[in-house]
Amino acid sequence: MSTEDYDYLFKIVLIGNAGVGKTCLVRRFTQGLFPPGQGATIGVDFMIKTVEIKGEKVKLQIWDTAGQERFRSITQSYYRSANALILTYDITCEDSFCCLPEWLREIEQYANNQVVTILVGNKIDLADKREVVRQRAEEFADTQSMLYLETSAKESDNVEKLFLDLACELIREAKQNTLDNSENSPMPGEGKSISYLSCCSLN
Amino acid sequence: MPLPRLPNMPGMPYWLTLPNFPNFPSPRTLLLDCCTILDHQVGGGVCGCCGALRPRYKRLVDNIFPEDPEDGLVKANMEKLTFYALSAPEKLDRIGAYLSERLSRDVTRHRYGYVCIAMEALDQLLMACHCQSINLFVESFLGMVRKLLEADKPNLQILGTNSFIKFANIEEDTASYHRSYDFFVSRFSEMCHSSYEDPDIRTKIRMAGIRGLQGVVRKTVNDELQANIWDPQHMDKIVPSLLFNLQDETVESQSPSPEAEKDKESPVELTERCFRELLGRAAYGNIKNAVKPVLMHLDNHSLWETKTFAVRCFKIIMYSIQSQHSHLVIQQLLGHLDANSKSSAKVRAGIVQVLSEAAVIEASGSVGPTVLEVFNTLLKQLRISVDYELTGAYDYGNIGTKIIKEHEERQLQESVIKTIGSFASTLPTYQRSEVMLFIMGKIPVPGIYPALGSANTGFEGSRMIQVMLLKSLLQVTVGFQTTNMLTALPSSFLDPLLSFTLMEDAEVRLLVLDILISLIDRHDNVLMFSSISIITDISVLKLKVDKCSRQDNLFMKKNAQRLFRHIYLVCNEENSTQRHFESLFSLLALLSIELATEEVVVDLIRLALALQDLAGEEALPVYNRCAIHALSAAYLNLICQLTTVPTFCQHVHEVIEARQKEIPYLLPEDVFVEKPRLPESLPKPEGDIVFLQSKIAETLGGSGYNTERLATPYIPQITDEDRLSKRKSIGDTISLQLEMDSRHSPEREQKTPTEQITFETLKQAIVDSVTMEEQERERRRLVVERFQTAPFEEIAAHCGARASLLQSKLNQIFEITIRPPPSPSGTLTAHGQSRSIPVYEMIFPDLCVY
Ligand SMILES: Nc1nc2c(ncn2[C@@H]2O[C@H](COP(=O)(O)OP(=O)(O)OP(=O)(O)O)[C@@H](O)[C@H]2O)c(=O)[nH]1
Ligand SMILES: [Mg+2]
Repeated sequence: MSTEDYDYLFKIVLIGNAGVGKTCLVRRFTQGLFPPGQGATIGVDFMIKTVEIKGEKVKLQIWDTAGQERFRSITQSYYRSANALILTYDITCEDSFCCLPEWLREIEQYANNQVVTILVGNKIDLADKREVVRQRAEEFADTQSMLYLETSAKESDNVEKLFLDLACELIREAKQNTLDNSENSPMPGEGKSISYLSCCSLN
Repeated sequence: MPLPRLPNMPGMPYWLTLPNFPNFPSPRTLLLDCCTILDHQVGGGVCGCCGALRPRYKRLVDNIFPEDPEDGLVKANMEKLTFYALSAPEKLDRIGAYLSERLSRDVTRHRYGYVCIAMEALDQLLMACHCQSINLFVESFLGMVRKLLEADKPNLQILGTNSFIKFANIEEDTASYHRSYDFFVSRFSEMCHSSYEDPDIRTKIRMAGIRGLQGVVRKTVNDELQANIWDPQHMDKIVPSLLFNLQDETVESQSPSPEAEKDKESPVELTERCFRELLGRAAYGNIKNAVKPVLMHLDNHSLWETKTFAVRCFKIIMYSIQSQHSHLVIQQLLGHLDANSKSSAKVRAGIVQVLSEAAVIEASGSVGPTVLEVFNTLLKQLRISVDYELTGAYDYGNIGTKIIKEHEERQLQESVIKTIGSFASTLPTYQRSEVMLFIMGKIPVPGIYPALGSANTGFEGSRMIQVMLLKSLLQVTVGFQTTNMLTALPSSFLDPLLSFTLMEDAEVRLLVLDILISLIDRHDNVLMFSSISIITDISVLKLKVDKCSRQDNLFMKKNAQRLFRHIYLVCNEENSTQRHFESLFSLLALLSIELATEEVVVDLIRLALALQDLAGEEALPVYNRCAIHALSAAYLNLICQLTTVPTFCQHVHEVIEARQKEIPYLLPEDVFVEKPRLPESLPKPEGDIVFLQSKIAETLGGSGYNTERLATPYIPQITDEDRLSKRKSIGDTISLQLEMDSRHSPEREQKTPTEQITFETLKQAIVDSVTMEEQERERRRLVVERFQTAPFEEIAAHCGARASLLQSKLNQIFEITIRPPPSPSGTLTAHGQSRSIPVYEMIFPDLCVY
């Protein structure tokens, strides 16, 4: 018996310029809706969703950060413990794409170096306003060895896929990790130390 | 069934005094082992059980939940459970796990009534159980709190937080392993930023977040096995979250319900309390990590520019941290100021303002080993700002240049200067004079100290730096009261301060006077003399006077002559304003009050009479001459009353009366007005409108003053000793004349106006031009620049060359000595020829070339 009701716990942090649709993506995924008039995020937001992948329960702790410059120092402090980062830009906004190198520098500086980063181009429903062609983004993601996905929080395109793909990738890495160093790794998640686990397993 | 009671079972209210319980000696591992064995013994038969065979602890737990959650916790059964837990503490972790399991299920099924009951039960168990056993229980407890915090229902979040806070207040006396508060810090910080639509609920969530953070801090701060709460990863979340709420005015501006207002803390108040608590707990090594996020927050939210919040934050910080750490905060602020050297003047001014206010809070002397560092940084900022102002822009990395707003730089400079004053005011006397020396050492005084202005700002830069540093120095002297002037103001301080270089520029000159006044005025008498006038009865001024101490006496023995000389030479400067004469009057007055021995009084009177002579000459503009006359009259009127010699007073009074009738423009009341009515020309005054040296000597002689000295006209000189020994200060033009002077016998002194050859003359002779101000400035600029940039050897070599050139030039000049320019001493004589002879033999020190 365990007090926890999941097999994996992953922390996912969304980052990217203000207004690119991070919060909408999260709410689409966790609540299945596209919030009208979504206001700018203040500091950080928190959501949780448990999904099942191949029979395993995966709990996703999602930290949605504010894109606004003024919250930068608090949001940065959330990078560190992230298992995955969703770096989001808005395909209808060249600026948000141009800022990506800057975001990568922040990741470099503040995130754990094993972090999985995925680049997301959001708002593909606004195809006629597209400013960043897909190929350009794909190439960029390639050079940075990131996964790339285009989404629409509004039309719910690829949103589910985004989080599920990420979860799969994280599971794969976690399994890899436990194989690599089997004796000491409550790798993803927190505080589930071996001793505690073994104590519980006596039941 | 009657409830069995342990004889010593404490009542609920006492459970809070947990640490008083007797301790079980057994270490945790032992307990764990026991527990494991028991589990196996009991567990064997129970496995895979149906309801009736459920383990006792499960049944006990089940029984605390009523049929209808509205009924709340079944109290009697809760007591049973508590009793059971107390008598079988090894079962605690099972109980916790089972409760937790139920709670999880209830959360998922939205049976919130049961969730609340489960939490209430947990809280009670937590409070009731022995502190050592808590450890067994905490994991499942924290798991449950986490569960609640993960929920998106505000009520559950708040419920979880409240439980956590209760837990945080339990003092555990055993180390606790395997706990991670990461999630809690992250989540509570997130809650602090809640943007829940309903403002009331939003406030509740935010306040829960703040309390939660407080709880984490309390729980971890003393537990060495815990993740260090002071690590940046935590502080960078906690501090900005608190500041965000501290700064949030929207909450405050809500119309407060009057009755709730009294006992209910506002979010801002709560935040401040938590912030203070956090800071108060910070040990020496943690201050930095706690303050850094504050600086970052203020940066990110552009809060330096508006100042108020930044100042408020740092007031809280300075008052909350342990006072012996306060210099760390100052250091951090200084470092931040440095790091912001390229930020806008407004940002820099904000940081400086904060520094200024923090300085005053810092207990006196605790600037500690960093005193000079503090001033060094501030002076550096002054210099940087002057550079920016003069160059109009600065290089801003790869972004290009940034245009400077001149008035903002000005404001910043004023702010830095004020801050220097704030810091100085916290220092004990000896450190203050150290700082004065330090600042003095930074003032560019060509020939004595190298210039500080950067190469590209040149002469004007140097001048501005002089002004800034003198203003800073003035700030440091405010309220400076030393009983030992001699050690507080060594010649390494006075030499450059009184040097000729700082006399030329009107603003600089005035600052020097004001600094002198501030240093000498130790009884706050200066206000009495802030305007210059004929004071008919000085007793109304109620001056505070102490007897001149032995140290003061020694100080004057050493320095009186150079002070007098300074006053004299300052009067001789053309570009003086009313302010200058007012300051001169104050200075003379304060010297007479603070430092006057009989001998000093005699010399001061001689000085005043020499000034009258100076004003008699036609070299200076009419305004200056009238002003000097007026100054001399005002001062003699004061000093005669201080001597209290009636005949002296009478003479002064008569002259003033005569002037009032005939030539009022030689009195302060007529000169120092907005539009003084002055004559076109001013012939040397004669008759009953002049103060007579012989008469004064005569009147004072009767009262035991040194008549002989009184009758001798004053001639500017450095010290009495200097006239006999070798001159020490080089690069000072006037001292140069004195050396020549000293070669004459004292009796002939008055007839030998060596002073008639001034440095100016020499310079003019060298450049073969009569008066080329421009050229002179340019040359000065080049010299300053060279000194800043050239290596020492080069300068030395250059000086050597120039010195020999000068020597030969001088020889030429003196051979064809032309009519000398008016002497600064104003003494006239017919023996012009005799005095120039010794000059031939003089070897000029190298630096006199400049
Ligand atoms: N058409 C379209 N609009 C979207 C989409 N996603 C978000 N938006 C809109 O973009 C705006 C910003 O969305 P948010 O989710 O608040 O952006 P954010 O990245 O969270 O912004 P910050 O919280 O300030 O960092 C909102 O007006 C959304 O309605 C999308 O997929 N399609
Ligand atoms: Mg957002």
